[in-house]
Amino acid sequence: MRASITSSAIIHAVVLGWGLLSFSAPSPMDMANSESMPVEIISDVSQLQQGDKTAAKNDKPAPKPSEKPQTVPDAQNIGESDTDTDTKPVPETKPKPVEAAEAPKPSEMPVEKPEPQPDPKPEVQPEPTPVPATEVKPKPEPQQEVKPDPVAEAINETRTATIPTEAPKAEPAPVAEKPAEEQMKLPEKVAMPQAKPTPPAQTAKTPERKEPTEKPKKTQTASTPSKDKGIADEVAALLNNQKPAGGGAKRSTDRASLGSQKPSTGEKLSQSEMDALKGAIQKCWNVPAGAEDADGLLVTVKMRLTRSGEIEGTPEVSGSGSSPVQRAAVESARRAVLRCAPYSLPQEKYDTWADVTVNFDPRDMF
Amino acid sequence: MEDLAVAVQASDVSLWGLFWQAGLIVKLVMIGLLGASIWTWAIIIDKMLGFGRAKRAFDRFEQVFWSGQSLEELYRNLGDKRTVGMGAIFVAAMREWKKSFEKGARSPIGLQMRIDKAMDVALARESDYLSARLTSLATIGSAGPFIGLFGTVIGIMTSFMGIAGSKSTSLAVVAPGIAEALLATAIGLVAAIPAVIAYNKLSSDAGKLTARMEGFADEFSAILSRQIDEKLPRA
Repeated sequence: MRASITSSAIIHAVVLGWGLLSFSAPSPMDMANSESMPVEIISDVSQLQQGDKTAAKNDKPAPKPSEKPQTVPDAQNIGESDTDTDTKPVPETKPKPVEAAEAPKPSEMPVEKPEPQPDPKPEVQPEPTPVPATEVKPKPEPQQEVKPDPVAEAINETRTATIPTEAPKAEPAPVAEKPAEEQMKLPEKVAMPQAKPTPPAQTAKTPERKEPTEKPKKTQTASTPSKDKGIADEVAALLNNQKPAGGGAKRSTDRASLGSQKPSTGEKLSQSEMDALKGAIQKCWNVPAGAEDADGLLVTVKMRLTRSGEIEGTPEVSGSGSSPVQRAAVESARRAVLRCAPYSLPQEKYDTWADVTVNFDPRDMF
Repeated sequence: MEDLAVAVQASDVSLWGLFWQAGLIVKLVMIGLLGASIWTWAIIIDKMLGFGRAKRAFDRFEQVFWSGQSLEELYRNLGDKRTVGMGAIFVAAMREWKKSFEKGARSPIGLQMRIDKAMDVALARESDYLSARLTSLATIGSAGPFIGLFGTVIGIMTSFMGIAGSKSTSLAVVAPGIAEALLATAIGLVAAIPAVIAYNKLSSDAGKLTARMEGFADEFSAILSRQIDEKLPRA
C-alpha cells in the first residue's frame, strides 16, 4: 500500500506541475475604443440625440453651447472649427502670439449663409442676415480650374465641402480633413513668392477668410513691393499658424442636453408621414398578379433621398422569397419607387428620411 | 477604468494563483480533495496490482491442484508459506482435516461441517482482503463533488461579499473569485470521477475473484467429502 500511495502522490505531483506550467493566465482581451453612449435615450439608433454626455436630460436635444457663430451651414459635427471634420477637437496647446496682420477684420467676416433654406436642426444659430449668396455661388468653377498651388487647392476643397451641395452627410468631413494635413506641411511649398495665385479674388468671397494660412498670402502681396520690412513678414507668413484641426463646425446656443456627439436630432417620421410615403409608392406599384397570395412575401425598399425628395443613387429593393412571382414583385417595387419620385416629406425632418426604409406586404395592398 | 485594468493584471489566473488567492475554507477543501484524489489513485494502483497478482496466483494454484499431485504433498508445500486466496482456503481445510484425523474423528458429518466452517472463515477473510478499501473509493466518488461544491459555494459567497465591499459589479472584480471557487468543484470532480469508475470496475473484479474462490471451496469440499466417505467406514 505504501508503494501505491507514493506512486499516486508522484503522479499527482507530475500532473499538477504540468498544470502549473501550462495553465497560465489568459491574455487580456482588448476592447475596441468606441464612443460610449448614454443609455437612457436609446430607443432606436436613428433617435440618438446629439448632445453632451455629461449634461442633464433636456427636452430639446442640444450639445454644449459653442462660442463662435455658425459659419458652415451644413455642419454636422459640433465644434468651434471652421471646417466640419469628424475628428475630435484637439486641445490648444499654447496660445500663439497673434500678429496684427492676422487679425481678421470684422467687416470681412460675415457669417455667410448661402441659402435661406430652413435648417432641420433645432439648435441652429440665430441666422445672421444672409449675405447675398448669389455672389458666392457662381465662383466655384473658375477657382477649381485654376488650382495654382496646394493652398488654393486646399481652400477650394474646403470651400466645396462647405458649400451646401446636396452631398451626403458623411462626405464633407473626409474632404475637409485633407486641407488640414496639407496645410501642415505647407511652408516649403509656398515659400516662392512667384507662386502667387489670384488670392484677392478668392479671399473676397470665400468663407474661410479667417484661416490663418490665407493671411500669409495677403501679407505677402502687401510686402513684396516694399522689401525692407519683407523678411519678418515673410517669415511670419510662412509660419504655420493653423491650429491642429479637429472638431466640427456646428454651433449651438441652447442649454446642453444629454446626448451623443454624433449628429442627429432624434426626430422621426410620424406614422402618418410614413403612411403617406408608403401610399405614394403604392400608387405607382402594379403588383404582378399572383404576388398577393404568395405567402410571406415582404418587400423592403431602402433608398436615399435628397432634400427635394428625389432618389439618390439606386434604391435597394429586397424581398423575401425566391419564386418567379416574388422576384417579379420585387422588380416591380423597384420600378414603382423610381417612378414615384420625388416624394414630398417634411423638410425639417430631412435627417430622418435621408435614408429611409419602407416595408411592404403585398397582401395589404388589395 | 485604469484601476480595474490594474486589478485584472494583478489577479493571477494560473493554477497556483487561483489556489493561493482562495479563502481559508476553500483552500482546506481543495487540499482535502487533493488528498482524496491521491488516496483514490493509491487504492486504484494497489488494487489493480493486487488483483492481477491474485488472479495469477489462482491460476497457478488451480494448475497445481488439478495436476494430480496428492493433497498431502501439496499441503506440505504450501503449509509453511504465507498463502492467499485459494491457497489459504485449501490450507485452512487441510489443517482442519489433519487435526481431525490426528485426534481420530468419530463422525464423518461432524468432520465435514468443521471443514466447511474453516473454509468459510478463510473465504470470508480472503474476500474481505480483496474488497478492502473499495468502500473509501465509493465514498470519495459520491462525496467528492459535494465537497467541491461546498468549496465553490463558499468561494462565490466570498466574491459576492467582495462585490458588496468594493461597490463594483464589474466582471473583472468578480471573475477571479468565481474562477477560484469553481476550481474547488473541478478538483472535486477530478477526484470523484476516477473513484467512481474504479469502484465499479474493482468491485466487480473482486466479486469475480470471490466467486472463483467460492467455486473452488465448494469443489474442494466435495472432494474432501468423498475422501471422508472412503476413509471412514460406515458406522
